[in-house]
Parts: sequence; structure tokens; C-alpha cells
Amino acid sequence: MATECLTNKKILTKGNYAIAQAAIQAGCQCYFGYPITPQSEIGEFMSGKMQELKRGYVSAESELAAINMVIGAVSTGVKAMTSSSSCAVSLMQEALSYATADELPVVLVSVMRGGPGLGNIYPSQGDYFQATKGGGNGDYNLIVLAPSTVQECVDLTYKAFYLAQKYRNPTVLLADGLLGQMMEPVEFYDYPYPEIDTSNWALTGAKNREARIIRSYAPLADDRCVFLEKLFQKYKTIEENEVVYEEINTTDADIILVSFGSTSRNVKTAMKKLRQKGIKAGFFRPVTLYPFPSKKLQELAQKVKKFITVEVNMGQMVNDVRLAVNGVCPVELIHKGVGAPPSADAIVSKIEELL
Amino acid sequence: MATQVFKLPESLKGDVKYSFCPGCDHGVAVRLIAEVLDELGIRENTILAASIGCSVTAYDFLNVDSLEAPHGRALAEATGIKRARPDKIVFTYQGDGDFASIGLAESMHSALRGENLTAICINNTTYGMTGGQLGPTTLLGQITTTSPTGRNVDYYGYPIKIAEHIALCDGTAFSARVSLDTVANIRKAKQAIKKAFEVQIKGIGFGFVEILSTCPTNWKMSPQKAHERVRNEMMPVFKPGIYKDVTTNEIEMLK
Repeated sequence: MATECLTNKKILTKGNYAIAQAAIQAGCQCYFGYPITPQSEIGEFMSGKMQELKRGYVSAESELAAINMVIGAVSTGVKAMTSSSSCAVSLMQEALSYATADELPVVLVSVMRGGPGLGNIYPSQGDYFQATKGGGNGDYNLIVLAPSTVQECVDLTYKAFYLAQKYRNPTVLLADGLLGQMMEPVEFYDYPYPEIDTSNWALTGAKNREARIIRSYAPLADDRCVFLEKLFQKYKTIEENEVVYEEINTTDADIILVSFGSTSRNVKTAMKKLRQKGIKAGFFRPVTLYPFPSKKLQELAQKVKKFITVEVNMGQMVNDVRLAVNGVCPVELIHKGVGAPPSADAIVSKIEELL
Repeated sequence: MATQVFKLPESLKGDVKYSFCPGCDHGVAVRLIAEVLDELGIRENTILAASIGCSVTAYDFLNVDSLEAPHGRALAEATGIKRARPDKIVFTYQGDGDFASIGLAESMHSALRGENLTAICINNTTYGMTGGQLGPTTLLGQITTTSPTGRNVDYYGYPIKIAEHIALCDGTAFSARVSLDTVANIRKAKQAIKKAFEVQIKGIGFGFVEILSTCPTNWKMSPQKAHERVRNEMMPVFKPGIYKDVTTNEIEMLK
């Protein structure tokens, strides 16, 4: 045992630091950010580390500037990111819309806090809509990854950089104040994905080739239709290939509890407690919020009696579950507006009320 | 034997038509930038962060890699490009609304950080592409579609003097205001643009040129009258000159 401990590669760290360290190891060449609780540790960590590594770092004048600096950096083919939270991510919506139209691999770490408005710094899942539906203009999707542990903060940060470059689409790591601030043992490892060749589109100077323009301006309606069809063909590919979810005890379940992010941890425990009470409960956790695991939920809807989503917001993901289930069975909601996730016992007693 | 004395700069695309209105100074400004890129031999290593407004179309004419920025964010994107690729020459081409209204924070902070960037700002005292509304540099008394009785202080406040403000930033290496109303002034404008690129190449800070320009369409004037307006109405308020040049004082010698 002792030897195992000594050789164990795990270190105890905060979610925010884990994300920052993972970004460094993923090869993030530039970080641009503006402070906001509960994610400021990411920028603090980056300010020292990026300078030590002679990579790019700017304390931006605003979140508007920060996300646009990321657009500038990634347009040259390098990996770059920003991080922020809720009300400040609101300021980035315009740039995210541009980045989808420009097909640029922006990586945004969004550590949710309470809203609307300034809200508070407690954990929240109130920006599910903001991330998956977007506040920017026009038809677009962001790839959205939702970690539920500090280890997943590492795993999915690596993945965010990979998917952003693979599909040339902005990608959001959607964490929350709980994950950002909590400490857990995590293991870092080498970036596990292949490096994506950006040389056929990146802006590096028009040497021995035609000048390139990365633009979203499309004065003619017909041209835009062609682009949008192509963009949504890409989204179809993403939906076919990149859906990730976790499911436990769903095969014989009468009710399936659906939850994402940090909240899902207590929901998993609640499912086990319900099983102990003889209630056939299952657990389903979307890891990718976009692409959403709609097909799998559709399948499960054929044999389950009821879905219950558990969220720390006023009920957002529940809408996507209902769309997926399409009336085949009821979809109920257990929620809490903001703050630490409801305890497993609280979830169990609410479910008993619903049954 | 015939000698060629005039040709299309390599930094201009040869197969496009200018979409600027007749008499608009944008065309002259874009040409000057192209000539400077040619003369400095940096075209193949240069990236443009374009802006929103009439200025956005610069990427249709300039034969360089270009990234289109949202309104006001050109210098943020230019900062990102430069930090990712410090070996590239990066510049913005913006209007007064983009640079000094919606993008004022990005402009000032790029200068304050001393980003090794070049920013060219067209000041034509109006929002051109949207049809001639009041902007940050609209002169007192000037009639626009949103100042129908002329700009008054009570409702609109004062126009901003951009080159002076940028000169006040410690990270600025060069800040100048030029005009394109005469051949002599066009030559001076080109020298200023060149200087604004040279300070970037030397890596000594932010290079900035404000170009007083015409907007005959929205001013509802002939090109000739429009240039007279630049001379008679704009230049007394927006005085042409070099407001900062660290290469000609001790600061440069200390570096």
C-alpha cells in the first residue's frame, strides 16, 4: 500500500488549478483573461506559468477584449483560451457567434456562478442555456463539455482543445463554482490527442500562397445559405461522433435520474439509495451538453416509466430531455435555484413525493 | 527605353474593384498602406485585423492575410495575433467609430500595453456605412442623421481628439494625425504610416496614425468640396501633426 502511495501520480488540487495545468499540458500557447470569482485562480495560475514558459499572456481590459484576443491567437493556428464566469461570459457571446462563423477553435472555460445579473458567487448551473443555446446572434452551436469531478476538469480540458481544433468550432468547458473551488486528487498525463494540422487555413502571412481572409461578413443571402448548410453539416457530424454520456443501472430502470456536472454526483448517490429502497432507479449523465445525447434518451424512453432531471437552476436541461423524449413518457424536474447541489437524501425524498 | 514609373503595389490585389464611394479617401489610404508594405518588404509576413464599417472592405483590396474582428475589437484580435506570433507584422485598419467609440477601451489599452502593433484610423466625422450618423469625432455644429440640427454640447458632448489621446499613453511609440486633402499631405501621410510600421518592426511600441478623410456621400458634397471641408472645418479642430515619436528623442536613445 505504502509503495502504491509513493508511486501514485495523483496530486491534490483545486478544479481551477487543474483546468489551468491541463491547458498548459494541452499546449495552450496563449491565455487572455479578466478576473471574476469563482474562476480567478485560472488567470492567476496562468499569469505566472505562461510567462515562465515564454508563452502568451495578457491581463485583458475586459472580457470582450479577452475573448477577441483568443480569436486573434487561434486564427494563427495555435491553441489559446480564456476563462470566465456567468455574467462575464455574457459579454463574450458576440465573439462566440463570430468564432463559429469564422470557424475558429476558441476554447472558453465557463465556471458558472449564480445569476441572473451579478447574482452571487455560489455554484450554479444557470448557464446551461447560455452555453448550449447561446446568447450570440444567428444559427450556431458551441461544443459544450460538462465535467463532474476535478479529474474530469483535466480530462475534458484536454478534450476541449482537441475538439475545438478538430471541428474548428468554439468549445466550452462548462464547470461551476463548486468544481472550480473544490480540491480532489487528480492525475495529469500527456495530452492524449493527435495534434491537428492548421496549416491549410491559419493566418501566417501570405507567403508563397494566396492571401487568406477569415471573415463572417456575407453580403449576399444565397452565399450565407450555402455557408449555413455547410456549418450545420459539420454539426451533424459532431452529433453523430462526439456524444458522451455516463449511464448506470438504466437497463432495468423504472425511473431514470438525469443530471450533469457537479450536481450529478449527489444524484448518483440518490440513485443508489433508491435502489436500496427497492425502487428501480437509473442514472444518466450527459458529459457533452452539445452534442446532447438525445438519441440515447429516446431509446431509454421506450422502456422507462419516467425521467427526472435534477439541476441547480430553474429547469434548463429538462427542456432538452423533454425534446429528446418527445412525449413518450413524463419528464419531471427537481431543482434548486442556486448554491450547493441538493443532498442525496433531499433528492431521494423529493423523488418519493413524485412517485 | 521605357521605364515603368507607376504600378499597382504587390500588396494590393489586382483583380478587384474598389467598392468605396467616388471621392472617398479610404481608397487613397488603403493604397498608401499597400505602398508602405511593399517598400518595407513585409507583405508576406503581415496580418491585418480588419474592423467593422466601410473600413472592413480593406481585406478585399489588401493582398495580406486578414482576420475580421467584431465592431471595436480589432486591436484585441491584433493583440491575440501578435502574442501568438510575435514575429508577424500585425496592423488594424479602423474607422473613428470603431477605434474611438465602441473600441476605445481596446485602443487605449493596446497603446498602454505598448503592443507592438500598428493601428490606422480613418476619421471622417461620421458613421459612413450605416448612412451618416453622429460619431465620436463629429464636429460641433455638424449635421448628421442623428444630429439633425447639428451637434450641440447639451445632447452630444464633444468630439474626441484621438491622436492626442493615444500620444498620452506611455506604450505609444508613434502617434500622428495626417490628412489626404492635397498631394503634399498625402506624401506626409505615407511617411507617417511608414513610421507607424517601422516602430512595430523595431519592437519599440504602439504605432498609430489618424487619417482625416472625406465621406462625400454622407456629407452630401462633391469630392472637391469634401476636401475643402477637411481643410477648413476639420483641420482647425483636428490639427495634423506628430504628437509622439520616441525615435526622435532621448527615450529611443536610452533603449
